[in-house]
Amino acid sequence: MAAYLVRRVFQMILVIFISAIASYALLNLAPGGPLAGLRQIQQSGRFQITEEDIARIRAYFELDLNLSIRFTRWLIGEPRGPLVIGGKEYFGDMVVGCRKPIEAEFLNERGEYEIRTVGCKESVVLGDLVGRRTSRGVLLGDFGMSWRLLRDRPVTDLIESRLSKTLQLIGLETLFSILIGIPLGIYSAVKQYSKFDYIFTSLAFMGSAMPTFFFGLLMIMAFSILPKNAGLPYVPAGLSESVRNYTIPWIGEIVAGSAQDRIMHLILPVTVLTIINIATWSRYIRASMLEVLRQDYVRTARAKGLSQRVVILRHALRNALIPFITIVVFTIPGLFSGAIITESIFAWPGMGRLYLLALGDYDYPVAMAIFFILAVLTVIATLLRDILYTVVDPRIRLN
Amino acid sequence: MAVNTQVAKLEAEAISIEERTPFQIVTRRFVRHRLAMISLAVMTVIFIITILAPYIAPFEIDELNVGNYFVPFGAVDEDTGRVHYLGTDNIGRDYFSRVVYAGRISLTVALLSVVVAETIGIVVGAISGFYGGWLDSVLMRFVEFMLTIPTLPLLLIISSMLLRNEDLVPIPEPVLAFLGKILLLNPRDARNAVLIVIVLAGFGWLASAQLMRGTILSVREQTFVEAARSLGATDIWIISKHMIPNAMAPIIVDASLGLAGYVVAEAALAFLGFGIQDPVPTWGNMLAATQTYMLDRPWLPLVPGLPIFVCSLAFNYIGDGLRDALDPRLKL
Repeated sequence: MAAYLVRRVFQMILVIFISAIASYALLNLAPGGPLAGLRQIQQSGRFQITEEDIARIRAYFELDLNLSIRFTRWLIGEPRGPLVIGGKEYFGDMVVGCRKPIEAEFLNERGEYEIRTVGCKESVVLGDLVGRRTSRGVLLGDFGMSWRLLRDRPVTDLIESRLSKTLQLIGLETLFSILIGIPLGIYSAVKQYSKFDYIFTSLAFMGSAMPTFFFGLLMIMAFSILPKNAGLPYVPAGLSESVRNYTIPWIGEIVAGSAQDRIMHLILPVTVLTIINIATWSRYIRASMLEVLRQDYVRTARAKGLSQRVVILRHALRNALIPFITIVVFTIPGLFSGAIITESIFAWPGMGRLYLLALGDYDYPVAMAIFFILAVLTVIATLLRDILYTVVDPRIRLN
Repeated sequence: MAVNTQVAKLEAEAISIEERTPFQIVTRRFVRHRLAMISLAVMTVIFIITILAPYIAPFEIDELNVGNYFVPFGAVDEDTGRVHYLGTDNIGRDYFSRVVYAGRISLTVALLSVVVAETIGIVVGAISGFYGGWLDSVLMRFVEFMLTIPTLPLLLIISSMLLRNEDLVPIPEPVLAFLGKILLLNPRDARNAVLIVIVLAGFGWLASAQLMRGTILSVREQTFVEAARSLGATDIWIISKHMIPNAMAPIIVDASLGLAGYVVAEAALAFLGFGIQDPVPTWGNMLAATQTYMLDRPWLPLVPGLPIFVCSLAFNYIGDGLRDALDPRLKL
């Protein structure tokens, strides 16, 4: 067991390192990036942007450094300047990037002009890095500064402000899904081929085929817009709390930002997520319950004369829930990344929407941070699942 | 001579049941799955409509009916006498025509993604399962890891990168021109669709490879493979002639369920703004556009939304029917 754990943790570190490289490379290897807009402004001629301005902006985004140097600065916050050993500086003049590249236009194969970098007018050396602002590195939990969404504020601030909203949403969703989905699945399996089972499986089948984004809009239509237009009580859709007070028929005025207001705003997104989730989860539970109910030990338990209740809850259910561990454990990354689609439909200010905004707005430090944390959590969840399996099911051995 | 006639006589006398080919057996079982048959009929109609799009749609995808914004269902265009069956959108484009053309694009993207993903999945899975060893463990570790990462964030990050740098992935001109003809788009817009196919298939093959590998592992031990090998068949021959055909059943089921997944995934990307972009219609980006106007027109999302749901449901039922038909023991 110990040897296995050591090996797994080692693997984990490797995988986390690879995913760090991957998430960095994905966004930084591609041309364009935050300077794409700048080129357009420069070409439109409305503003005078000097070469010096561009160099400054490139330095702000660290685009003047070589990719490898940029990456290590992002990952571990080094190098910050020349290597200092015993009070002496080394490698101070090592070229690590280019401050002012020479660009030239080329005609490519498709007959279009494209700008390529052909040389360097002024390079950046290691010594220039002294005094530049730098993060402590992603591995130490410092994700640097946001570029756009909250300019020059730490990414962690941005994530912290959104995390609780996502935790609320996904936490409640998971709770309700377990509380409703598991009993539904069990009941449906126990009463196999009954009318209930038939209706339930059909609905669950439809639910798992239903795209979240369409279902979300349907729910907004059915419980927010239509009743509101008809003068009936409705549930607010959008944001996590309203900006000004509003009145709902039969309930009365609701003060913006009050607990009541926040609960009202939770109802729709949580319902959408829960229903979609129940559709898939309960199908799993039903299938694994059906399989367990056919096992010999269940028959033995019945033959002993145990009541149906005891057989199902004590003998069958425990084993039926084993495959379910995987699903529940993998809600951990979900807790963090949120429900991207649902958050976007309901304009819920959580992590999922933050991720979308960051990707859409070239705020790469934010997007990379979220993706990296997600990868780390996923790796941890995988390990956790494997360990939990052996704890719950002695038939499975780690080796 | 005498022996032969005897055998023939015996055969004639024997109580024989009608012999059926495996194909007939599967077809009979599939036909018995009522919902799958209904779904098949629905999808056939949808496919015919989208194939005949230029003849069925009264308007072009980007034809603006200036001034006639949000006209009601069934309104008639005064100048030409054509009917806006489903009304027009916020800039006067005909909803019905756009939904039909969007279907053509969305379904083609889904079909292409399935074909590419399953092909890669079959090849990788077969090689991995057949040869085993370090190649197998490297490939499968990679697949496992990729599958554990939540798909949507990964799809979003990659498609956002690809869409911004369209030239990053070189796509041969003839492919674009050919696809443009199928999608009725110019090659530039077709590139966008191809990128989405690359993104979707780039992740879709992972699960198929895993599935294929599992099936190959069980087929590998069968005696007919041993027989082929003892007759001196090469590895490629055994894989392509004996193993892959015998491992196809789960792949076919996977592909039809995959179609549902790709229709939804493509729509989801477009809905979030990271898929095929607006002037080109897809059900996803049309649905996203209705969000802005649904306060005053609550029914609007149904127009592009229902086709997505219907296709997703139908492909799921067809997949379910195929699973029942191909392997009655496999039933969730």
